[in-house]
Amino acid sequence: MPAEVKQEQSPSNATSLAMMQEPQEVVEETVTIEEDPGTPTSHVSVVTSDDGTTRRTETKVTKMVKTVTTRTVRQVPLGPDGLPLPEGSSPLGSYTDSIDRRYMKNGNDRFITPQATSTLTRSYNNSYNDSYGETPESQYVRHYGLHDGYADLTDNYGSLSRGVNFRPPRYPYLPNSYRPENSYTLPIRKDDYGHVAQPQVPMGSSTVDLNRSQPERFQPEPYGLEDDRRSLGPEEEEPYELEPDYSTANRRTLPGANRGRTHREPLRDGPRIRGYPDDPIEAELIDERHPYIHGMYSAPLAQPERGSMASLDRMGGRRSPSIDSIRKDPRWRDPDLPEVIAMLGHPIDPVKSNAAAYLQHLCYENDKIKKDVRQLKGIPVLVGLLDHPKSEVHRKACGALRNISYGKDNDNKVAIKNCDGIPALVRLLRKTNDMEVRELITGTLWNLSSYEPLKMVIINHGLQTMTNEVIIPHSGWEHEPNEDSKPRDAEWTTVFKNTSGCLRNVSSDGAEARRRLRECDGLVDALLHALQSAAGKKDMDNKSVENCVCIMRNLSYHVHKEVPGAEKFQDPSALQAPGSVGPQRKKKDDAGCFGGKKAKEEWFNQGRKNGENDKNYDTLDLPKRTEPSKGFELLYQPEVVRLYLSLLTESQNYNTLEAAAGALQNLSAGQWTWSNYIRATVRKEKGLPILVELLRSDSDKVVRAVAIALRNLSIDRRNKDLIGSYAMRDLVSNLPSGQQRPAKNLEEDTVVAILNTIHEIVTDSSENARSLIQAQAIEKLVAINRTSQSARETKAASHVLQTVWSYKDLRNALTKDGWNKSHFQPTVTATPKATKNGKPGYDDTTLPLMEKNQDGYSTIDQRDKDCKYKASDVSVDLTEREPLKNDTNRKHYIRSNRPAVSLVDACDVKPQPVDSWV
Amino acid sequence: MSFVPGQPVTAVVQRIEIQKLRQGNNLILGFSIGGGIDQDPGQNPFSEDKTDKGIYVTRITPGGPADVAGLMMGDKIMQVNGWDMTMVTHDKARKRLTKKNEDVVRLLVTRKSLEEAVKQSMGGFPRP
Repeated sequence: MPAEVKQEQSPSNATSLAMMQEPQEVVEETVTIEEDPGTPTSHVSVVTSDDGTTRRTETKVTKMVKTVTTRTVRQVPLGPDGLPLPEGSSPLGSYTDSIDRRYMKNGNDRFITPQATSTLTRSYNNSYNDSYGETPESQYVRHYGLHDGYADLTDNYGSLSRGVNFRPPRYPYLPNSYRPENSYTLPIRKDDYGHVAQPQVPMGSSTVDLNRSQPERFQPEPYGLEDDRRSLGPEEEEPYELEPDYSTANRRTLPGANRGRTHREPLRDGPRIRGYPDDPIEAELIDERHPYIHGMYSAPLAQPERGSMASLDRMGGRRSPSIDSIRKDPRWRDPDLPEVIAMLGHPIDPVKSNAAAYLQHLCYENDKIKKDVRQLKGIPVLVGLLDHPKSEVHRKACGALRNISYGKDNDNKVAIKNCDGIPALVRLLRKTNDMEVRELITGTLWNLSSYEPLKMVIINHGLQTMTNEVIIPHSGWEHEPNEDSKPRDAEWTTVFKNTSGCLRNVSSDGAEARRRLRECDGLVDALLHALQSAAGKKDMDNKSVENCVCIMRNLSYHVHKEVPGAEKFQDPSALQAPGSVGPQRKKKDDAGCFGGKKAKEEWFNQGRKNGENDKNYDTLDLPKRTEPSKGFELLYQPEVVRLYLSLLTESQNYNTLEAAAGALQNLSAGQWTWSNYIRATVRKEKGLPILVELLRSDSDKVVRAVAIALRNLSIDRRNKDLIGSYAMRDLVSNLPSGQQRPAKNLEEDTVVAILNTIHEIVTDSSENARSLIQAQAIEKLVAINRTSQSARETKAASHVLQTVWSYKDLRNALTKDGWNKSHFQPTVTATPKATKNGKPGYDDTTLPLMEKNQDGYSTIDQRDKDCKYKASDVSVDLTEREPLKNDTNRKHYIRSNRPAVSLVDACDVKPQPVDSWV
Repeated sequence: MSFVPGQPVTAVVQRIEIQKLRQGNNLILGFSIGGGIDQDPGQNPFSEDKTDKGIYVTRITPGGPADVAGLMMGDKIMQVNGWDMTMVTHDKARKRLTKKNEDVVRLLVTRKSLEEAVKQSMGGFPRP
């Protein structure tokens, strides 16, 4: 059975499965849903399930912890990015936020801090005036000395205005007091503006530190948590989460919520102010058009003319009352959701953007609010703001949409799509050069792409744009390489990561999606270039690489059936002799196929010792190309084998390993000329030992993908002999012995995949069946057959046993070992088994079950798995599972951590033996 | 000393314990290895059987930790801290030897002179 492949999406597998040789081949699963990851909990559990090992679990946990931390930290960074950084004030803003919280948490003594925060608002004025010119950096500098900064603060205040004087005494109140302003703020804005910056600086400093240092530290995590982060990151709110109150908070817990909001708003506004004169705002505020302002904010509004100072006064007044009284003060409250949404339509731009920012904040990790926003028809308004000419407005709207689109509630995503949000996002992507906005857009698209029905919509509207605007430029690939310029390396930017994640999701949407992506001008070329650049730089563990490999894997699925002109390459022999190679090839192979012993020798040094082999390979001529292949043709050129092998050798990211193995699996499936070449090339490039070694991986899914790839590769007769001789032990060692699982505790799917691979390699090869017996597999197979709780495993094991028993020349040996026919007879064993295990028993009945399992390859499952994988990813075992780098001197040569001496040695001519100092 | 994969191997072995030497951030053993199942065994100058894909000691840093411990050029490494080294890739062997968290490696090695010594003392050692 040609291993055909089955797929992620297609339930159809089942059919082929029934036969038992389900070639599970191709898995295109990779849907990464970012959203799902959202819940940390799930990660944890996932992890556990993923790998049985304790170690892992622990790791996971650690990650979790980290994550949390990250979030806190993250915000800050985001803040800077997300906020109006360009203008400089934004960083402050974000800092402020985090600061507040911290203080809140830590304690009360710190009033100072709060003050600072509160001050911030006011300080705006300062910044406005004095600090105006300051760049964010300068501020940072200051921040560092918190306490010192303090002094500054006062100074600033002093300089600011007279109002300053009052504050010191009031500081304690400030935290609360300023809240009111802010809440109102939306309308009142101007006050806030006044407050912006400097004072804050000191405060911020602590926060700042966090941001700075931590983000880097945590970066490594991206894998598991990414998704969260994605959404989180952008949202400055994350920290809020941490706060106990937050959840309940929105309105009730005014303190928490307000603060957050407050800070933000001011921050955002700050920058804006600079951008455009605010004066108009005041005038407009008064404007009656906005009902809210009118009614609720009247008090503040009344004073606009006074200017910033006026606000100070007010504040002072308000602040004096105790916190409690403030809270009770009916005049000051947060706008409720309908009001916020109404503010999105406010004529004053800053109000719009603040409202959007506030929405983003409210929606962060709060599904209820997201739903409410949707039901209050807030989404179309936000989408409408995407086309707003002012960057502040569309940026904030984008941020809100990003958060709203994140999460399991697909209705939110659909709502965005229903008001043409996807084309609007794409339009904005084309238009804007602001990196932060691009990150938000692509993050939103990534979120949207996790929902099946939206995938095609995204492809229709955004594929070419994402490719042209992000993938190609960031990949370093150039359409018309300039001869003078060196090839550029890929840049692993957030935008690229988001976009590749989005494409990764949409690439799993079936044949049509694959066709569109394959034919998208420049996409495959750029992805390949990016991966090659990653391989060249040995930078293969990051999320972007993972996404790219997953896309490539998905696009490689069914290439032999789906690519234009594929029929020209179909192997005519396939029909008559499925499972065998094409006629020409077969002949050649046979010539070079010396049976077991010789084959073994070839295993690793093919073509070296035996000139004959060399010739064989060489005569297997690849189709002549008149011009370099491009576009989707690149997917299945034998050259890609080297790339995937180098990923398999070097990457520590399980998802990447799985995807690279999956790509080889897909490419080696099917009966067409190219898959013949691919299978031969894997052998020639010494890929088989690399794959075999990965059978020892701790990662379930890696083992599974590798096992299935080996199965497809063994369609090639010579590969089958080699794999039979050299992979059998590793395959068998992954099998559970009876009910006792091996240390790895592989999932049922994996065990079944391994059994099927074994079945494939012992079929038509008594030599391989003999190796199987020598590997002491019979005992395990019989045990699985009799005692496994899994009908699929039982079934698969019994198929292998039947095949083994069918070799009459082996029966003697088997009998000597104490086995008899009954051990190999499914029917016989099945009956008792059924009673024994209380399982529904006969083979006939189990068949359908097998089919079901195929679903494992379906997209949906895949997705789940994906999530798990994410969680489990990389970091874990550098030491344990180092992928072997196989021999080529070149690799060693490149490896950096070796002592110089070995480098010298390795430099020698290629054939020279490798020699490593240790 | 050659062997057939899957068949038991008999060999005279010596245990060698090497204390790694710290040099900056690196822990060094002071020898180099060649061979591995992914290498061309025909080029191994030390193996008797040119199909042997085992891991061999190719060079020793004079006075280095390995030298001090008694490792010799041409030794075939059978095990490293209990891990089999007769059927591993070159890189796997390297990594087993260079684990950062292990200060000591215990090797099981075999060498021709050992076998001969035994053979003589026993009056003919049965070759595996």
